[in-house]
Amino acid sequence: MEVFIAQFMNGLSLGSIYVLLVTGFNLLLLVAMIIHFSYPQVVVFSMYISWVALRFTNNSIVVGVVAGIVSAIALNVVLAPLFQQVMRKRGHVDINATMVISLAIGMIITDILSHEFNSGFPIAFPENVRGDEELFGFGLIHISRGQVLSLLVGVVVVSAFFWLLYRTKYGRAFRAIAEDPDNARLVGIPIFQTGLLSYALTGLLGGLTAVLLSVLLGSASPGLGEAVAHKVLAVSIIAGLGNLVGGLVIGLALGILEAMVQGFITGTWSNAIAFVVLLVVILARPRGVFGMKL
Amino acid sequence: MGASNTAPDRPILAVDGLSVSYGHVQALRNASITIGSGEIVVLLGANGAGKTTLMESILGIHTPHSGSISFDGTDITRVPADRNVRSGISLVPEGRGIFSSMTVLDNLLLGAHHNLQESPARLDRVFHWFPVLRERQQQMAGTLSGGERRMLAIGRALMSRPRLILIDEPSIGLAPKIVNDIFAIIADLNAEGYAILLSEQNAYKALKTSNRGYVLETGRVVLEGASAELLDDPGIKAAYVGA
Repeated sequence: MEVFIAQFMNGLSLGSIYVLLVTGFNLLLLVAMIIHFSYPQVVVFSMYISWVALRFTNNSIVVGVVAGIVSAIALNVVLAPLFQQVMRKRGHVDINATMVISLAIGMIITDILSHEFNSGFPIAFPENVRGDEELFGFGLIHISRGQVLSLLVGVVVVSAFFWLLYRTKYGRAFRAIAEDPDNARLVGIPIFQTGLLSYALTGLLGGLTAVLLSVLLGSASPGLGEAVAHKVLAVSIIAGLGNLVGGLVIGLALGILEAMVQGFITGTWSNAIAFVVLLVVILARPRGVFGMKL
Repeated sequence: MGASNTAPDRPILAVDGLSVSYGHVQALRNASITIGSGEIVVLLGANGAGKTTLMESILGIHTPHSGSISFDGTDITRVPADRNVRSGISLVPEGRGIFSSMTVLDNLLLGAHHNLQESPARLDRVFHWFPVLRERQQQMAGTLSGGERRMLAIGRALMSRPRLILIDEPSIGLAPKIVNDIFAIIADLNAEGYAILLSEQNAYKALKTSNRGYVLETGRVVLEGASAELLDDPGIKAAYVGA
């Protein structure tokens, strides 16, 4: 039972990372109309930027956090014209073309991380950033600072995001574009600016995720983004592409599933088992557990 | 409906020699129309004659390859739709013009995207016109009947502080009783000072309600005149009024 509770907590904190990532992915899918499956790689890139900033400022947490968030927003917004330009040149929204761009971005990022930072070795975040210190423990249950932080920030950020989506004019415009972009244009919604806003907002979500990942994992490697990207794409498809509430549930469920496998089965089988479960689910529900919203 | 036989002296909208193509298909050929500030003007024509293209071009959706459009004396030929909505043109799209997975209230507020601060007063006006929308404001728009959807689309067009409202096929797919209601509301809106451009395939009701009309065929304006005269035109009778 103690193992179960401990792994449940682990799963929730890991799951909240997946939820943040899949929310950003879905937002881009719905509003900017791109499949950006390398988005987690952009997030990992921001972890590296944050790590560099920490090294140059003698481990100033404020600078590290700001660098992570600002670089994620900047990177997302800088990439926006690339996606937009290709879509415009091809006449209409072409989701296949956006996948190729995203793939390229992901590969370039992974290569840059393996050559230009720390000679390609994994980076370790300094002691004061890492959240592995125990806040309280009971038998086998250890709750670390990083777990509490990622769960708290996850809940706050996702709530704020849904508030924005359902209570502000920008959120209303996001939902209108997601449902019917042509009609949104007829109503007078500025499609280009609203799309750009979704890139910036996804950048903000990504930056916060980068900070949480640094705290929770305490390290990063060039391959981290790709590994996470596969899961985020899977979560979005299993939940139903573009389904925000679905992404929330499935993201948390995947985190908990992985943690349980790690807790009860010896060996590193968590990825394989997670993907077997995802495969079975997608065979049973081809349009996703919660239905596609595209 | 004091029918003016000639084009107005100071039009709120003037479209001059407009040509628009989709790829190799030319949807509008040298089309010219004007709308006076107090007028209801109707565009008649069969499916594919270019009515929707003309309306969407006025709004700023399509880029014309020649010709010009001016609104209230200002050239808006290549101005995008969101800026035209901001400056006072709104469109009620044909058929599927509402967002069915959003609430009635959200649909209305979308129309006020650029002037949200005045939305409470605007909502009051819209609910005055369409009391049924007040009752259903928290309902998903997809649950509305066909007539209510039309009202919602017209209500949303009123939320943006328009001076010119373009209404694409207001009667399509509606029961005759509802069609009468919609046309009565269009006439009332015009009496309140909104200039209105309608497009219709079923011409009788539209010509009865409007001041002037234009007939489009394969992207060209082939006939124009006061609505009363068009109603008596034998060719129009045969082609668009029926019976």
